[in-house]
Amino acid sequence: MSSSASAPLQAPVRGVQAGALSRVASSPTLRFIGRRLLTAVPVLWGLTLATFIVMNALPGDAAQELLGASATPAEIHQLSVKLGLDKPFITRYLDWLHGLVTGHLGTSLASGQSVASILRSDLPVTFELLAYAFVISLGIAVPVALLAARRPNGIFDRVSMVLSMAGLSLANYILALVLVYFFAVKLNWLPALGWAPPDQGFANNIKYLTMPAVSIALSLLCFYARLLRADLVEQMREDYVVTARAKGVGQWRILLRHALRNSVFGLITVVALNLGTLLGATVVIEQIFGLPGIGHELLSAIGNRDVPVVEGTVVVFGVITVLANLLADLLYATLDPRVRYGTAG
Amino acid sequence: MAPPADITAVPSVLEPVAVVPAAGRPRGRLRSLVGIGVPSVLLILIFGLCFVWPLIGPVPPPTGGNILNSNLPSFSPGHLLGTDATGNDEWSRLLYGGRASLEVALAVNAIGLVLGGLLGAVAAYMGGWRDGVIMRILDVLIAFPSLVLALAIAEGLGPSELHAIWALCFFSIPAFARIARAATLRVREQNYVVAAGLSGTGHVRTVLRHIAPNIVPQLITFAFLGMGITIVLEGALSFLGLGIPLPAPSWGNMIAQGEGILSAAPKFTMLPSAALFITVIAFNLLGDALRERWGSR
Amino acid sequence: MSANGFLPARAGHLAGETRPGADAPLLAIDDLRVDFHQGQRVVRAVDGLGYEVGRARTVALIGESGSGKTVSSRAIMGLLPPTAHVRGSIRFEGQELVGLSEQELRPLRGGEIAMVFQDPSRSLNPTMRIGAQIVETIRMHGDMARPAALDRAAELMELVRLPAARERLRQYPHQLSGGMRQRVMIAIALAAGPKLLIADEATTALDVTTQAQIMELLHDLQRRLGMALIMISHDLGLAASFADEVLVMYAGRAVEQAPTRKLFAEVRMPYTRALLDAIPRLENPPHASLAAVPGQPPDLAAEHVGCPFAPRCPDASNRCREAAPPFAEQEPGHLWACWHPCGVQAPS
Repeated sequence: MSSSASAPLQAPVRGVQAGALSRVASSPTLRFIGRRLLTAVPVLWGLTLATFIVMNALPGDAAQELLGASATPAEIHQLSVKLGLDKPFITRYLDWLHGLVTGHLGTSLASGQSVASILRSDLPVTFELLAYAFVISLGIAVPVALLAARRPNGIFDRVSMVLSMAGLSLANYILALVLVYFFAVKLNWLPALGWAPPDQGFANNIKYLTMPAVSIALSLLCFYARLLRADLVEQMREDYVVTARAKGVGQWRILLRHALRNSVFGLITVVALNLGTLLGATVVIEQIFGLPGIGHELLSAIGNRDVPVVEGTVVVFGVITVLANLLADLLYATLDPRVRYGTAG
Repeated sequence: MAPPADITAVPSVLEPVAVVPAAGRPRGRLRSLVGIGVPSVLLILIFGLCFVWPLIGPVPPPTGGNILNSNLPSFSPGHLLGTDATGNDEWSRLLYGGRASLEVALAVNAIGLVLGGLLGAVAAYMGGWRDGVIMRILDVLIAFPSLVLALAIAEGLGPSELHAIWALCFFSIPAFARIARAATLRVREQNYVVAAGLSGTGHVRTVLRHIAPNIVPQLITFAFLGMGITIVLEGALSFLGLGIPLPAPSWGNMIAQGEGILSAAPKFTMLPSAALFITVIAFNLLGDALRERWGSR
Repeated sequence: MSANGFLPARAGHLAGETRPGADAPLLAIDDLRVDFHQGQRVVRAVDGLGYEVGRARTVALIGESGSGKTVSSRAIMGLLPPTAHVRGSIRFEGQELVGLSEQELRPLRGGEIAMVFQDPSRSLNPTMRIGAQIVETIRMHGDMARPAALDRAAELMELVRLPAARERLRQYPHQLSGGMRQRVMIAIALAAGPKLLIADEATTALDVTTQAQIMELLHDLQRRLGMALIMISHDLGLAASFADEVLVMYAGRAVEQAPTRKLFAEVRMPYTRALLDAIPRLENPPHASLAAVPGQPPDLAAEHVGCPFAPRCPDASNRCREAAPPFAEQEPGHLWACWHPCGVQAPS
């Protein structure tokens, strides 16, 4: 297999085999998880340090941002001392790191709220948004890919691949505004702004989330459709498909029962990997639709030089990314019998 | 670990199209000519309009418009697409805005191609712990949603075209470096590099003479896709007010400005949106067609 | 139900020394041509091939890779890619197969005609359990509930002599050895009780011991179940041991055909002779160099004048290079295409 989709398929197999912990853990799965988490630690630590350096190197600090342009230097200095911003950079970083290790993410410089409580209230919004987007994108991408792969270079394949290229080229903020214009301004079907938590009625909640989710979902949808279609086409050239045809199995059944079965593992990996990287998209989309999610929080925290909140979100983003990676590999290893039973056929 | 990258993921998204090799059949060859020709013509047109036409054609300045001329409708005399709320010519803002977006994208990709390409090639060529250290640093950068990093940097440095370029380089350098590294590793396996090493050719010479010619086509192919990605990211930065500062136009800040009056005058959102979309799709189509033609993966 | 009980022994008689054609032919191929269109290039993979397979008979198609043996056999089942253009006639039990649609071919595939492929590690779906892959064929060609189909699958596994059949049904292909996988392939092929089994280099990818076991198994099953067998191979030795009739192919054409004994007693075509000489023999001194057929097969996209084997033939004359010899019955039951057949005085 040489398609792009199969590239991530190879990696976890290798990862399972080598292992410094081999003498410690006898279970290959545990060993694998342990190894992955260990290698993730320096990456996460690097992330926090890099963020701290970047935030520190930026001109202005939280005291200045909070007090505004009219504040006197004395006032700013007073607030700086109060917020602990006068301490040396290294001290502040080590303090923060110590807090992180002991389970404290600190408090927001801007609002005085604990970072943990901010994350607790923001993360569900973002997660719901992303989950909705994934459902939309996969729900459409899989049938489209199957229809396209049924006749490669056929009319449906051509049209859907051209459209998916267009979809990939459409920036999510542009799509968001186009959606707002048609569905909020012109048709008045959906609210252009705001948020209703799910406990105030699921229908209402979905109403607020639909346009943001579609804005994020379109490029994902096109991405998955292209990826899956390519992998399916490749699978359809495999020998086992000839066997299936020689058995008298029909085209649709071959696609669904044979090819999709083999392609789906690669897709799952990619979906899990996307989870970590999609957080970037939420910044813009949550801003446009006024959703109180983590992306929205991050943007205002950066503006306020609210280092603990920025660091907190960065750590959460980082951990999600690392866990998503791990989840991808584990899902892949659990679901694909070739990996599950050790030897790749 | 294999960190995912929202950016490096994109070329692999586009890759699937190349499954059926176009070469061979005359229809396929024609199609691949169209595939390269149409987006090329489109891009030449866009570049010509944004960079050349304002110098030679009757294009009013994009800023400093007369308030008395504000909100003129499209096809007004002297204002093809009308004027905005401050009397600036919309057509002119579209062209100069595109110029800003394209300048940023070109700079970011040029820097990424050269620095990232060099970094990746050197890391792969040296191998060992040096490779490990370089890749680990790049992993950190790639593990992070690039837009978030760019936001932080752009916010800190203050909005300007130059700062937007710096911020976006944090995406482009690691992305190019990874591609260069993978390509170099493949080239390294091949005998002539080994032979060059045996015959005592210097490292610099080996990298420049033997490795560079083999990886540059792949980097250039990625640069086309990278242009599209960068234009979208720059648009996002400017949209959030962290890219090119007003009153100077860029497609991103024009879209943001238009958002405020979306219901009253959708034109001010839709025009720059359409311009951005067409440019990005042209870059994507061209990058895709080139990869298909060159068969580089 | 016993392992051999449920599979009807179709044709009662065992393959004897009856002449081909004495039976009403199960499969009759006539003037089969298969072209592959690659751009302006047209590759003629099969060029006017014709042969018959009687019920319960074994016919061996022998040739180097690219001689058209695989393409011609896939044409029977309509398994060629869309770039292939098939002309001529393939009649199975009197029914013309060329030109049938996928829908019309499906009941035949796996039901009447089954196929075993060369590489058992790639021919089984890696993500489906063995049982599911056998059951799929059973249920595709007969109305049977899943539990009953599973029972039948287990019986088939026993039939192909796979131990611990029940447990194996729950395994995945990569958990089996190459030989076991090929047995599974055979079980799948037999699942619907086909009248014709095509074994396409079915033993090539296996080691020598396993090869012999699989070949014995195929031969045995063929006799017991009364199937006809087309065995495709590059190995004349295998053909000599198992086939009733041997057809040697070169460059998409038949070049020599005869009942097995006759063929090996009186090889006529220099190409067949060259293939025969290429078989390593035990009586050869150790480390004697293996004689391969020298030269390369011709480019099938180019137009040919004369005998396609002429450039590689030790006996080639100008006549060979100018006109292609006809493939015709030159002795009773023995067909060949050669101007200068071995062991025959050249006609004036």
